[in-house]
Amino acid sequence: MHRLAITTVFLASTASAHANPVHGKLELPTTLPERPPPSVRGFVERVENPKKPIQGISVTPYLLVVLENDTSKADSPGQVKWELAGDSFTKPVLGAPVGAQVVVKNTSHVARTLVAVEDAKLIGNGLINPKVGEKSFTVSDAKVYTITDKDAPHLVGKVVVVASPYIANVSPEGKFELDAPEGSYKVRVFYKDHWLDQAESVTVVAKGKTEPTIKITSLAAPAAEKKP
Amino acid sequence: MFWSKIWFFLIAVAAVVALSFALVMPRPAQTASRNEETRRLTVACGVVNIVLEADARNRVELAGKFARNEDVERELADASAAATLDEKRMKQVRTVGEKVMEGIKGKRNPEWAIMVDKKGRAVARIRVEDTEFGDTLAGRPLVDDALAGYLRDDIWMFGRTTFLVAASPVVKGTEYVGAVVLGHKIDTEFAKKIVGKSLLVELGFYLPKDTIAATSPAALEQAPMTSRIGTLLGPDLSSDCSNDNNKPMPLTAGSDSYTALVSRLPGEAGARGAYFSVFSKQTAEVGFWDTVSGVTKDDLGFGSFPWILVGGLFVVVLGVGIFLMLFESDRPLKRLTAEAVRLAKGEVERLAEDAHPGKFGSIARSVNIHIDKLGREAKSAKKDLDQLLGPAPEGSLGTIDLLATALPSVRPGGPAPAITPPPISEFKFGDSGAMAARPPLPPARPAARPGTPPPVAPPPAPKTTDLLGGGFESAAAPRPSIGTASTPPLTLDDDILGGVGATPTPGPLPSGPVDPYFKSVFDQFLAVKKSCNEPTAGLTYEKFSEKLVKNRDDLIAKTGCREVKFTVYIKEGKAALKATPVKDE
Repeated sequence: MHRLAITTVFLASTASAHANPVHGKLELPTTLPERPPPSVRGFVERVENPKKPIQGISVTPYLLVVLENDTSKADSPGQVKWELAGDSFTKPVLGAPVGAQVVVKNTSHVARTLVAVEDAKLIGNGLINPKVGEKSFTVSDAKVYTITDKDAPHLVGKVVVVASPYIANVSPEGKFELDAPEGSYKVRVFYKDHWLDQAESVTVVAKGKTEPTIKITSLAAPAAEKKP
Repeated sequence: MFWSKIWFFLIAVAAVVALSFALVMPRPAQTASRNEETRRLTVACGVVNIVLEADARNRVELAGKFARNEDVERELADASAAATLDEKRMKQVRTVGEKVMEGIKGKRNPEWAIMVDKKGRAVARIRVEDTEFGDTLAGRPLVDDALAGYLRDDIWMFGRTTFLVAASPVVKGTEYVGAVVLGHKIDTEFAKKIVGKSLLVELGFYLPKDTIAATSPAALEQAPMTSRIGTLLGPDLSSDCSNDNNKPMPLTAGSDSYTALVSRLPGEAGARGAYFSVFSKQTAEVGFWDTVSGVTKDDLGFGSFPWILVGGLFVVVLGVGIFLMLFESDRPLKRLTAEAVRLAKGEVERLAEDAHPGKFGSIARSVNIHIDKLGREAKSAKKDLDQLLGPAPEGSLGTIDLLATALPSVRPGGPAPAITPPPISEFKFGDSGAMAARPPLPPARPAARPGTPPPVAPPPAPKTTDLLGGGFESAAAPRPSIGTASTPPLTLDDDILGGVGATPTPGPLPSGPVDPYFKSVFDQFLAVKKSCNEPTAGLTYEKFSEKLVKNRDDLIAKTGCREVKFTVYIKEGKAALKATPVKDE
C-alpha cells in the first residue's frame, strides 16, 4: 500500500468529529505532457544518455484536488506548513484555504529570500535562514500565488488559495486522501499553474470511506479559463 | 618666366598635397588599426565561445564517465531506496566519490562533485560543503534533466563564485538511480587557459555588478557592458559576437582606454546577467609626428625605402627648375646685360626689344624709351642752341660750331692743319677715365669781368659734354659737319673772316686793350686759315673779338653758362671756330 501524499493543511475548525475520509484516485490521461525544453541551457545542448530512454515527466507532484460546496468555507483556516528543501519546495504546488497562514520552513543549507510574484507585499522582506529559518504569510484571497527567489529563479512554488479546507495533494500513483463532512462536493483539480476543466462531483457519505475516481481527460488549460 | 612660375606653382601644389597626405595618411592607418582591432576582438569572442563549448563537451563527457562508475551506481541506488539519508551514508558515498575524483586524470580536473539520488536529494558532496547532505537539488534545470536521463552543462553560482557544471544521469541496470554533478571553477587560470597566447586579447567573466574572473587586473567600467548585454536578445548566444548591434565598445579602466566586446553566458548564471568580455587596450591615436617618430632605421634602408626613385624625382624636379630659370631668367638677363654693356660701349644705339622675351623686353623698351627721350631732349637742347648759336656738329650737343658753315665752302689756301674734332668713337658714358684726363676747371671768373676770356687751355667739359666725352683731344676721325643740316650758326661774318674774294691780309692790331684769350683765339684762327690757304684779308682782331664777345654774352645769357670756350679747328679743309658753353659743376 502506497503512502498517500495527503494534504498538509491543518484545519483546526474543520477537523471535527463529522469529518469522513475520502480516498480518491485520479485517472490520468494516457498521454502525458512531453518534457519541456530546458528553461536554461548550457554551452551545449543536452544529450540523452546512451543506456536508457529519457524518463517521462512526473505530473502528480503538480496536481491538487479540492472539494468545494457552499458550506465548505473554513471558519478558522489555521496554518499550512511548506518545506523549502533546497532548490525546490517539497511540494511544488501547495493548497491553502482562504485566510490560512502559510509557514515556509527552510530546511536547506542555503538562505533564501522569497517573494510572491503576484503580490510583492505578501511575504515580508528578509532572508529565511537555512536549516531553522521560517517565514509566514497569510493568504486572504482565493487566487494562485507564485513564490520564488529572485536569486534562484529555478526555485518556484505555487500556493493555490481556495475557499475550501478540503484540499489534497496527489501521490505518484494518482491517489489522494482527505477528510470532509458528508455532503455533495464539486471536485476541482489544479495542475501546475491552472485549474483543469473538470465537471465531476462527489458525495461524501456519513459512514465509511468515500473512494471517488476522477477521470482527468486532459492536463491542458481550458481554452476559456486560460491561466489563473 | 611663365613656365618657371607654372613650375613653382606645381611644386607648391605638390608640396601642399604631400603635406596633406602626410597629415592625413595616419588616419587611414588608424582606421585600419581599429578595424583590425574590431576584427581581432570579434574573432577572439567567437573563439572563446567555441573553446567554452568544447570545454563543456569535455566536462559533460567527464561527468558521464563519473556516473558510469559502478561504485557510484551502487551507492546511489541504495540511497535512492532509503527513505531518509543519514550522515553515515553520506560519508560512505562521499568516500566513493572522493576515490573517483582522485582517479580522474586530465588537464583540468573538476573542483567538486555532488552525488544526487533519484529523488533529487544530495547524498554527498565531494570537496565542496562536504558536510552538507539531504537537501534537494531537484528543481535546478541541470539536475532535473540529469535525473530524467540527459547529459548537459550549466553555469551555477555559489555566492560570488561561479562554476561551470556538468551533470550526467546514473543508471544502474535498467533504472535511473540518481545523477552526478561536477563543477569547474571559473577563475583567472581558466580565463588565461582559454585565451592562450594566440588570441592577443584579455578575457573577463562578469556579473552585472561584479567581476567573476579576468586575465587582466584592469577594472573595466561595467555599466556600459551590462547595458549592452541587456540589448542582446535571442536564444542563440553564440551569435552575440557577430551581432550587428554588438560592436566593440570603448571603455576605460583607470586612465587606460580599452575596447571590449561582450557576449552573454548561458545557463543559470546567464539568466542572472552573467557575461564574458574580450577586450584589449585601445590603439593609441597616431598623428603625423607619432608616425614620423615611429620611423626606424630599417624603414629608411635601401631595401624598404625607394631612395633611388625619390632621389631621381628630386633631381628631375631640381633640373627642370634650374632649366626653366636658365631658360626664362638667367639667359635672357645675361643677354640683356650684354646688350646693355654694348649700349654703354656705344656699339648699339638702342636695345633690341624683340630679342628679349617678356619682362626683359619691357626693360629694353623702357631703356629705349628713355634713350629716345634723352635724344629728344638733346635735340631740343641742340635746337635751342642752334637757335642761339647755330647748329652744332652732330654728336656735339654742347659745342657750337661757330664758323664751320659760316666759312666759305671753298677757300684758297688748301686744307687746314691737322686740328680735327674728336672722333665720336671716343665718347663714353660715364667714362671716369676721360673725366680724369680732363684738366681741372679753372677758377670762376668774377662776374664783373664778363669779357675776360678763359685761359687758352681747353676748359673742363661742361656737364653736357659728359655725354659726348672729351673728344676734343682726339683727331682720329673728323666729326661730321653740321653745315647744311643746320641752320646757319652764329656767323663770324666776312667782316671777321674776310670776304671770299678779298685779299687775305691780316688787319692791324687793335688800338684798344687786347683780351689775351680772344687774341690767342684770333691768332690760332688766323694761323689755321693760313694753313688752309684761306684768305685772311679783312680779318681783323677788332671785328673778331667784338663778334666773339657778343656771341659769348648771348650764349651766357641764353644758356646760363659760366663761360664760353672757343675752339679753332679744321672742317672740310677750312678753318672753323666753335663756341662751347662752360657750366658750373
